[in-house]
Amino acid sequence: MIELKNISKIYESNENNRVTALKDVSINFKEGELILLKGPSGSGKSTMLSLIAALSKPTSGEVIVDTKRISKLADTFAATYRRNNIGFIFQKYNLIPNLSVEDNILLPLIPLNLSEDEAQKHVKSVMEKFHIAHKKEIAVKSLSGGEQQRVAIARANVNKPKIILADEPTANLDKELSLKFIEILRELKSQNKTIIVATHDPLFFGLDFVDREIEMLNGELLV
Amino acid sequence: MKSKINFYLIEFAINSLLRQKAKSIFITVVITFLTFLLASVFFITNSIKYELNATLDSLPQITLQDVRGGRIHDIDIKNVEKILAINGVSDASSRVWGYYYFEMLDVYFTVVGIEEFETALTPALASLSEKFDFNSIAMFVGAGVKKKMSERYYKEYFNFIKPDGSMKKVNIAGVFESDLELEANDMIVMSKQNVREIFAMSEERATDISVHVSNPKEIATVAQKIKEQFPSFKVITKDDLKLSYENMFNYKSGVFLALFVVAIFTFFIIIYDKLSGVSSEEKREVGILKAVGWRVEDVLKEKFYEAGIISVFSYLLGIALALAFVYLLQAPLLREIFIGYSDLKVSFRLPFVMDLQTLLLVFFLTIPIYIAATIIPSWRVASLETDEVIR
Ligand SMILES: Nc1ncnc2c1ncn2[C@@H]1O[C@H](COP(=O)(O)OP(=O)(O)OP(=O)(O)O)[C@@H](O)[C@H]1O
Ligand SMILES: [Mg+2]
Repeated sequence: MIELKNISKIYESNENNRVTALKDVSINFKEGELILLKGPSGSGKSTMLSLIAALSKPTSGEVIVDTKRISKLADTFAATYRRNNIGFIFQKYNLIPNLSVEDNILLPLIPLNLSEDEAQKHVKSVMEKFHIAHKKEIAVKSLSGGEQQRVAIARANVNKPKIILADEPTANLDKELSLKFIEILRELKSQNKTIIVATHDPLFFGLDFVDREIEMLNGELLV
Repeated sequence: MKSKINFYLIEFAINSLLRQKAKSIFITVVITFLTFLLASVFFITNSIKYELNATLDSLPQITLQDVRGGRIHDIDIKNVEKILAINGVSDASSRVWGYYYFEMLDVYFTVVGIEEFETALTPALASLSEKFDFNSIAMFVGAGVKKKMSERYYKEYFNFIKPDGSMKKVNIAGVFESDLELEANDMIVMSKQNVREIFAMSEERATDISVHVSNPKEIATVAQKIKEQFPSFKVITKDDLKLSYENMFNYKSGVFLALFVVAIFTFFIIIYDKLSGVSSEEKREVGILKAVGWRVEDVLKEKFYEAGIISVFSYLLGIALALAFVYLLQAPLLREIFIGYSDLKVSFRLPFVMDLQTLLLVFFLTIPIYIAATIIPSWRVASLETDEVIR
């Protein structure tokens, strides 16, 4: 369902400073699969997630999702693709700190111009599912790290995406909260979502519901 | 295509303005102040122009004064017949009036005499003459005059002091109504006979002669003929007066002021844009919105709502303040720039003149500039690769 074909990504801040974040990477992910992307800092994990989410474009190669070449999409279509298919849990959560929990979760739905009933129904359902409904009117900035992550997860699920991408989801959590996150992953997996988690947290290694673990180094896959 | 209004987007825009309280207040103050200033300038200018035109309409086409040895003397009314005989003149009449200095308050009143069956009167004077009792020793006074007199406890009558030092008591019969503020405010109207007595003017004389020409194009020619026939006369045409009135209502400087304000504003916007650009916080927010599936178009629409809401709100506030300032408070400070100082005006009220054109002009001088200044930088940010902005 997700296919990366000969992907390279080069960041060029100026002429003397070129960073090759991904080097001729090819890989496939099947529907319903849960994949771990492992590797040290700077190995290209975030870059790969960002390409799959069409948040950036590869320097060469193609990203194909459900037969659609999303690496070639113009901005407007890339946004539509994201909104229909992708739930992204960012490492820094990327919430708007002064907005309430509820309003942050509503963000992906705003451009859809849904009726109030429908929008509220979606927001309520994910808030309950990820146990954050009791804080719905609180500004996100005054929540704890674990609560903020639950908001980020709820927001990533409010548009009912087929694909969930999580970048270092436990980097800012203690062990107890990390284990809770793993339980959430298990549940999402049981709903047949395709999930890619970039992490170097050993807690994830060897979990029974993980289908594949992929190791990266210096922008390349280790087989 | 869905064309229904996206209330969530509007709500988000309002929320966003409330979240950036300091910035929003600052912008509201600036735009409100700017609209207020611009609108005030235009309101005053319009009022003055309106008044000026109305005043000019009421003036005689040609006025004749008798100047001897450099001094203006009362004119012999026998001249009226001779003027009427000149080709092109359709009417000529003698006018009896003068400035009366009211020492107690250091102001001048314009005392105007009218008589029965007089033809060359302004509309207001004509309607007054219909109900006027020409045999009484009474006068109608402008509202401003009434007020000044009351300040010195002359509520029922006024004692004029004649040139020989004796007094003439004249009853106040009523307040004079006129659309012309200048006419209504420092004018006193009474019978010609009474005016002559107050100024010690003989029956054969008048202050000046007003001349009406049937074809307005011939005014200059007729003026020329009169000058040839009466070399001692000062011949004043409406055009001459127009100039001196325009100087009195020096409104042109106000228009320059308006342009100056706009220039300053534009300059300010440029500086502001250069200094602040888009804050990193705002940049990040745009990145987040795009990452969760907003298109550039959605982001710009939201920014447009934000800029639109705050600028239209400030615009309306500015207009409301300007209306109150100009028409209720009579534009303190600002009016001094527009209205040249003159002893003759007791209290000049700005007449209420309102047109859509002015409102639109102020609208287009402020709001599009601000909206553009907001949208363009946001558009630049929104067009960046999303990944770069939120990393
Ligand atoms: N916008 C950018 N400009 C320049 N270089 C970049 C940019 N984004 C990423 N890089 C570089 O690309 C390489 C891969 O980065 P990436 O973030 O994908 O690594 P990562 O595996 O996610 O690392 P981490 O575990 O630290 O998150 C790094 O060397 C990084 O410095
Ligand atoms: Mg990373």
